[in-house]
Amino acid sequence: MPTQGGEITLGRGGENSGGGADADRWLKVGFVAPALLVLISVNIFPLIYSIWLSFTNADLVGGGIRSVGTLNYSFLFFDPRYAQALRTTVLFVALAVGIELVLGYGLALCLRPTFRGKPILLTALLVPMMMPPAVMGVYWTLILNGSFGVLNQALGLLGLPELQWLTDPDLKLVSIILIDVWMWTPFTILISLAGLNAIPASIYEAAAVDRATTWMVFRRITLPMSAPLVGLAALLRATDALKQFDLVMAITGPNDGATQTLSALLYQVMFRDGKVGLASAYSYMVLVVVIALASVFLRYLASLQHRASATEAT
Amino acid sequence: MTTKAFLSSVIFAALCSAMVLPTSAQDPATDAPTLTIWWAQWDPAVGLQTLSEDFTKESGIVVKVQQIPWPSYQEQVFLNFGNKTTDFDIVIGDSQWLGRGADKGLYLELTDWIGEAVDLSTIHPLAQRYLMEYPEGSGRYYGAPCETDAIGFVYRKDWFEDPAEKKAFQVKYSRKLAPPDTWQEFRDIAEHFHRPDEKRYGTALLTGRGYDSITMGFQPFLWAWGGAWADPETFEVQGHVNGLGAVAGLEAFIDLLQFTPPGGESSDYFQNLDAFTNGSTAMVLDYFPFYPGIVQNMGDQAGFFVVPRNGDTRAISLGGQGFSVSTKTSAQQQELAKQFIAWFQRTEVQEKWITFPGCFTANTELLQSQAFREAYPFNSTFAESLDHLRDFWNVPVYNELLSASLRNLGEALDKVKTPQEALDQLAMEHELILRGAGLLK
Repeated sequence: MPTQGGEITLGRGGENSGGGADADRWLKVGFVAPALLVLISVNIFPLIYSIWLSFTNADLVGGGIRSVGTLNYSFLFFDPRYAQALRTTVLFVALAVGIELVLGYGLALCLRPTFRGKPILLTALLVPMMMPPAVMGVYWTLILNGSFGVLNQALGLLGLPELQWLTDPDLKLVSIILIDVWMWTPFTILISLAGLNAIPASIYEAAAVDRATTWMVFRRITLPMSAPLVGLAALLRATDALKQFDLVMAITGPNDGATQTLSALLYQVMFRDGKVGLASAYSYMVLVVVIALASVFLRYLASLQHRASATEAT
Repeated sequence: MTTKAFLSSVIFAALCSAMVLPTSAQDPATDAPTLTIWWAQWDPAVGLQTLSEDFTKESGIVVKVQQIPWPSYQEQVFLNFGNKTTDFDIVIGDSQWLGRGADKGLYLELTDWIGEAVDLSTIHPLAQRYLMEYPEGSGRYYGAPCETDAIGFVYRKDWFEDPAEKKAFQVKYSRKLAPPDTWQEFRDIAEHFHRPDEKRYGTALLTGRGYDSITMGFQPFLWAWGGAWADPETFEVQGHVNGLGAVAGLEAFIDLLQFTPPGGESSDYFQNLDAFTNGSTAMVLDYFPFYPGIVQNMGDQAGFFVVPRNGDTRAISLGGQGFSVSTKTSAQQQELAKQFIAWFQRTEVQEKWITFPGCFTANTELLQSQAFREAYPFNSTFAESLDHLRDFWNVPVYNELLSASLRNLGEALDKVKTPQEALDQLAMEHELILRGAGLLK
């Protein structure tokens, strides 16, 4: 491998290398090809195949597939389940991610100073995030059980009304949001802490010299400068929450109108109704929603970053 | 040996064993032909595995009953049907699956064979209709009964026999406290025992939002009050599922939910079982195969009664599953499967089958026998229930119909919609689904 001036150069070795250059090129192709093949077979091919399926009447158990044009897409507007699932998903994302961000950021502010036992506390806080959501779902059904659940027993001891967390139609979604908040607030704590710790101490020192109040420091320095990372946490959590499935399956099953998210609806249409074509069309509509949301977030993030850079410069 | 050499040997050995392992359906230990049956994970499947040992002794065919957890059973079966060959030779499927299995060419048609191989006169006519035939009344068979089942009530016999309760009930309702025959009597008893302050409740009905629980729970009310899912000939929905009878039935169903334990408006088969075994509820609706466990745990405290009637109509949701042979298995395996099904239907085999926990029969000779009726405390109630069985749709789009029922009935129970609004919406959705499937012209 030729080196020049301490730099390692891969690929073309110069005009005289001739066959060596070709060999290098094939070597590179050889290295990249397996990964590329895997990518094409598990990502690109299913993507294209499912686009085709979305215009057909494909059934899970096979049988003759025929084109139905845009019927599957137009059916979306007549299927009351889709509108309901979309509403439930948006509500879930807004509430769960909103609470996680506020709670996570608040806790990150509390955890920012160095104190004794901080590493242990941080590790303990991260435990829920590391548990598999499906296992957590089953675990929480025991906690939230209306008859023998720990939560209701605790509420009873405190003289508070015992609620039907898993069966009351007004509380089912609340329960799932509660579990999601419990699981994913540590993630927003972690990202927020990273954002807070990245703010240079010199800026706070300058603010102290200018006798800025705590509120002013928070509003003018801490919040805007940590906002890009908090925004990133919001983006990651929102895209993840849009796909909420595990908890819904574990808590109520995929077909409960009160908690049926878009992913749960997709599962129902695909695996229970067996309508592969319709499920493919639905999944593309979900993809459009996720991409639209992500692009809005990314634009917002870019503007935040721009503003934060401007603040740092001044 | 270096790590690399060791890993290479392991991979080589694995490849060799994959090539050497038998690919035909034979038991590697004995080289005997093997039949694979898929069923859900529960006691009757254990019973079937044990019973099939007799078949192995008789025929030399090894039977493997593979149990799949209930929540994913349906998905696993139909996903497997999506392959060129299925991993099972026989599937024990819900009655609703018959249409999908027959229409999509997944279930082998047994019409010509079954009449000769099985004495159909020994099978209860309603089991024939709902667990074997598609379309109903066509005389074309795609299944054979395995676990014939129905819903029925289990009640607290000790509470009913308590002299103080009897006296209080007599004073309030001017009649004796006894298992109810009509839904009105049922309501009175539920009201009598409903004492939330003492954590004692009147009844638990089927209202769960999972697969088919709420639909199975609503059906006895729908039919008993004169409603129907649709016209069985034309598939016309309007005026049937949202007619006056259906609405009155749904109102009666909802009315009874005031006597259920907390969360009783969304309670499935397993939660109902809990409601009874935790000693809080007087009368609980569930499927018969769950009752051996109750008898084992609660003994004489538990009694059983048939689903009540309204006026002259008593209608009971069918449960249970039937054997169907996969079309995606070899002709040789299909022959073995038929052999097993014919053997299973024999009266002497059925006689042994019903001795296993949670195993029920559609054999008319046994159902009428005194020995069967006295074998378990719930057997006579079960036998009586079979004469009133009715079933949900078994057309290929049953799952979508079920899903629409679940959602709209759920909204009525949750008081999001009035019974009339919920059933009107349900009728509209069912109409759309049936039209889409080409069943409703």
